Amino acid sequence: MSEFTDAFDLHVNDALMWLNDNANTLFEWVRASLDAAFRALDWLFALPPYWLVIAAVFIAGWFAVGRVFAVGAAFGLWLCQAMGLWSETMSTLTLVLSSTLSALLIAIPAGVFIGLTSGLMKTSDVVLDFIQTMPAYIYLLPGIALLGYGPTTAMWATSLVAIPPAMRLTAHGIKMAPVSLRELGAAVGMTRWQTVYKILVPCAFPSMMAGVNQSLMMAFGMVVIAGIVGSGGLGQSVYDAVRMLQIDQSINAGIAIVVLSIVLDRFSQRLVKFDTEKSHG
Amino acid sequence: MAEVIVSPGSVVAPALTWLNVNHHGVFAAIAGFFDFWVSGIAGLLNSFDPAIVIAVLSVGALLIAGWRMGLLTLVGLAVCLCMGMWLATVQTIALVLLAVLLSMAFGIPLGIVISRNKRLQALARPVLDLMQTLPPWVYLVPAVILFGLGTVPALISTIVYGVAPMVRLTILAMTQVPRERIELGRAVGATRFEMLRKIELPSALPTLLVGVNQCILLSLAMVVLAGLVGAGGLGAEVTRGLTRLDFGLGLRASLAIVALAIVMDRVFRGAIPATYMPAKRT
Repeated sequence: MSEFTDAFDLHVNDALMWLNDNANTLFEWVRASLDAAFRALDWLFALPPYWLVIAAVFIAGWFAVGRVFAVGAAFGLWLCQAMGLWSETMSTLTLVLSSTLSALLIAIPAGVFIGLTSGLMKTSDVVLDFIQTMPAYIYLLPGIALLGYGPTTAMWATSLVAIPPAMRLTAHGIKMAPVSLRELGAAVGMTRWQTVYKILVPCAFPSMMAGVNQSLMMAFGMVVIAGIVGSGGLGQSVYDAVRMLQIDQSINAGIAIVVLSIVLDRFSQRLVKFDTEKSHG
Repeated sequence: MAEVIVSPGSVVAPALTWLNVNHHGVFAAIAGFFDFWVSGIAGLLNSFDPAIVIAVLSVGALLIAGWRMGLLTLVGLAVCLCMGMWLATVQTIALVLLAVLLSMAFGIPLGIVISRNKRLQALARPVLDLMQTLPPWVYLVPAVILFGLGTVPALISTIVYGVAPMVRLTILAMTQVPRERIELGRAVGATRFEMLRKIELPSALPTLLVGVNQCILLSLAMVVLAGLVGAGGLGAEVTRGLTRLDFGLGLRASLAIVALAIVMDRVFRGAIPATYMPAKRT
C-alpha cells in the first residue's frame, strides 16, 4: 500500500515541479498580472481617508439597504479603524473584490455558455461539485509552488473557490428563461447573439446576482483562510495573533472580519433584490 | 478628529484568561469528555481490520439505502484506504459523527422552542443569518483561545457552526406542519407531548432530514478546516501537505475527503424513503 502512495506523491510532486520548470513564463505572467491588479486596487482603496470610505458606505447603505444597516455598518467600520486595523481591512476588501471580479470574468461567460448548450450541464455540475468538495485551502498548495508566497497565491485560490457558485447560478438562470421569450426572440428575427444579450441575460439576472453574492461570500471565507500564506489583510492578522497567543489582537481582527463580511453580504444581497423589484414594478 | 483607540479584544482577553485560570477544571472536563468520545469511536473503528470495517459499513449502507449506495460506500472508503488515509479517515468520521449528533441534540429542541413563539422567531432570524454569513474560520478563533489547539476546539466550533442550519430548518419544518393535522390532534385530545411526538415531528421529518443532511456536509467541511488548528483527521493531513509543500500528500488527503463527502451525502439521502424526499434543493 505504501508503495502506491509513495509513487503517487512522487508523481504528483514531479508533475508540479515539471510545470514550474517548463511553464515558468506563463506563471510569471499570471503572477505579474494578478499582482498588478491587486496593487492597483489596493492603492485605490488606500487613497481615500477612512472617514470618506465610512461616509460613502453610510450613504450607500442608507439608501440601498436600510437605516439600521447604515448606522451599524458605519459604526462597525469606524471600529475597524479605531482598532488600528484599517489598512488590513482595506487590503482584505481589495483581495476579496479583485478575486471575485476575476472569478466572475470566467464564471459568467462560462455559465452563459453552459446554460445555452444542453449537454454540458451535467458534466460541469460534476466538475464544480468536485471543486467545491475539495477542502478549499488545498488550492493554496499549487499556488505556493507555482506563484510563491503572497497575495497572488491568495488571489488564485480565492478566484478558483469563487467560480462555482456564480457559474452554476448563471447557467441555472439561463436555463430557466421562459421558452416563450426565446421564441419571441426567434420570431422578431434576432440573431443568436442578440437573443443572448437582450433576452436571456436580463432574464437570468436575478439568479446571476444571487450567484455573485454567494461567490463573494465564498471568496471572503477563502481570503481569511489565505492569511496562512502571507496574503496580508485580516486573515493574516488573525493567524499571526493566534500563533503568538495575542488573544486581544486575534479577537479584534475577528471582529473586523465579522463587520466586513456583514457589510459585503448585505450590499451584494441588495443587488438581487434591486433587480427583482425593478422587473416586477 | 482626535485619534481614538478602541480595542474590545483587550477587554475580552483578560476575561478569557481569567476563565482559563480560575475555571480551568470546567474546560478540562469538557475537553476530556469530548476527547473520550472521539478517541472512543475512532478506537473502536481502528480495533478491527480496515477491510472488515469497510465491509460492515458497506453492508450497512446496502441495507438502509439499497445496493447502489452499498457499492458507493465500498468504493468510496476503498479510495480512502488506497490513498493511505485510513487512520485519518476514521478520525474524521468520528469527529463528524459526534459533531452532527450534538448539533442535532442542541439544534432540534432549540428550533422547536423557537418555532412556538413568533417573537422568538423574529429574534432568531437575524442571529441565524449572521451565523451563516460569517466565514467558518471565525468560529475557530474563540474555541482555540478557550480550549487550546487540538480536537476539542474543532469539535466545539463545528457544533456551533452546524447548529445554525439545523435550527433554521427545524423552525421551517415545524411551521410548515399542516394546520388540519394539529386540529386533528386537538380533536382527539392528544396531550402536548403526544402531539409533538406523533403529529408534529412525523410531519416535519422531511424538512428535518434536509437539515440533517446540510448539517453533515457543513460539519465535514468545518472538521477539515479545523485541521489548521491541529484537529486530527484528514484536515490535519491536508495541513501537513500544505506546510511541508508536499502536494502529493495534500492531494491524497483531499481526494479522500471528496470520497468521504460523496459517500456521506449520497448514503444519507439514499436512506430517506422516496416519499419523504422533498424537491431537490441546494
